[in-house]
Amino acid sequence: MSSIQVKTAFSSIRRSPFQAAAAIFVLTITFFIVTMLATLVYSSDRVLKHFETRPQIIAFLEDDISAKDVSVLQVKLGNDERIKNVVYISKDEALVIYKEATVDNPLLSELVSPSSFPASLEFSLADLIYAEEIIDELGNEEIVNEVGFTANIGGRAELKDAVSRLRTITKYFRIGGAIFVGALMFTSFLVLLIIIGMRLTSRRQEVEILDLIGATGAFIRAPIVLEAVIYALVGVFLGWLLALILVLYSTPSVIVYFGNISVLPRDTLELLTFFGILLGIQIIIGILLAVSGSSLAVARARKTK
Amino acid sequence: MLKVKGVTKTYGTIVALTDVSFEVEKGNFVFVTGPSGSGKTTLLRLILKDITPNKGKIILDGKDIGNLKRKEIPAYRQEIGMVFQDFRILPERTVRENIEVALAIIKAPSDEWNKRVNEVLEVVGLGDRKDLFPSQLSGGEIQRVSLARALVVEPKIILADEPTGNLDWETAEGIMELFEKINKKGKTVIVATHHELIVEKHGGKLNRKVVKLTKPKKRKVETKEKEIKNKS
Repeated sequence: MSSIQVKTAFSSIRRSPFQAAAAIFVLTITFFIVTMLATLVYSSDRVLKHFETRPQIIAFLEDDISAKDVSVLQVKLGNDERIKNVVYISKDEALVIYKEATVDNPLLSELVSPSSFPASLEFSLADLIYAEEIIDELGNEEIVNEVGFTANIGGRAELKDAVSRLRTITKYFRIGGAIFVGALMFTSFLVLLIIIGMRLTSRRQEVEILDLIGATGAFIRAPIVLEAVIYALVGVFLGWLLALILVLYSTPSVIVYFGNISVLPRDTLELLTFFGILLGIQIIIGILLAVSGSSLAVARARKTK
Repeated sequence: MLKVKGVTKTYGTIVALTDVSFEVEKGNFVFVTGPSGSGKTTLLRLILKDITPNKGKIILDGKDIGNLKRKEIPAYRQEIGMVFQDFRILPERTVRENIEVALAIIKAPSDEWNKRVNEVLEVVGLGDRKDLFPSQLSGGEIQRVSLARALVVEPKIILADEPTGNLDWETAEGIMELFEKINKKGKTVIVATHHELIVEKHGGKLNRKVVKLTKPKKRKVETKEKEIKNKS
């Protein structure tokens, strides 16, 4: 691209500042929402993952079993691809957990001893669809007294219900977000098409002259496409920056609100990497949007010459 | 160099040209004359491949331009320097930029631009006007810019469509002298004009040729080619 084409693109923006502002404004809003929705999808994924990977099933063991038997079962479970994060909780550890859970009511702690609690093997599932079959299989193990779900989630039905609801919400959230983003992208595409079309109408004479003195289609197109790309890049950057500022501003409150559920990366570098990737993807989308919109506008203008 | 063979062009039921034939040798200065509506502009547009003939062939340097593919047309036009009656100068660019655009189109190395722009501006006598915008120039000066833009790409042939049509006699004379100066350097020039006085004054010299077009009668046109020999 020659310096003359770059100069043409910038002078065209300078000469029609309101058209340029309109294009950039629409693109900024679009990419702001795209960034926010992408962040929300990412966060909802992390919430889902949190519930899916936390210990979900507890196999309460019989009282008088040997350490060897426990070890055999633990290895067996550890080798099962449907099962993740197998942890052995001894009677003493169970008591400690109980005491921590009842710290606000010391009377409850005083009434129990290690012998009150069974040792257990706790683990999470690769996918909840395996829950029922694993529970049935564990029920047949001789050293297993009883099988249950993590106490604070509730029964089998409740756990499945909670996670499947979460999944459904995430799914609809993604579909809704994709439709919304698609509509915004289409609006941005149309706005670019209209603005570049207006530009071309005012530059029709110039396009005709260039055509007659031997300019190729690419030569005529270059400054117009460049102008659209500038709008897209500015729009992407502003939208992304606004979203980043908003996320950074709200991160402390979000972390406090969700407690141990890590909805956003807690490490600054990880958060910035996530936003860097988002920026890269949006730059590519923005350039594609600008190139296709402006090329279509030029093709239409040359066709109707 | 340029052969126009039996070219006919109609716009719907309007006949613009009928069976026009002539040849131009390298270094010729050709006047295409005739009254308004006789098809002078149409002929130049056909040579520029802005429009296509209904019949006949136009051959430049052995290449039938009717066979050019769409994507080959820009390269073909880059070999032709075109000067328009209505100047067709980019109004939002300076004199220098208008000429540089032509250099950018032919992808001339940018380090040569300054030298080549200064050279052609000297030829057309606008060396001190290069940073002005067209709105700051007179009609004659704008036509010189148009000529400079055509010259800077070192075309095989220069086509000028009524280059003096919008100018007074004195300015028109200045432009014609410029065309003569360029022709003397070996450049082939084709000028379309309805100005009889210009043809009378400049058409009788060495290497000159006059192609006289008559106004079509309904659907038929007569074409007359006349070569004026050097009288000396």
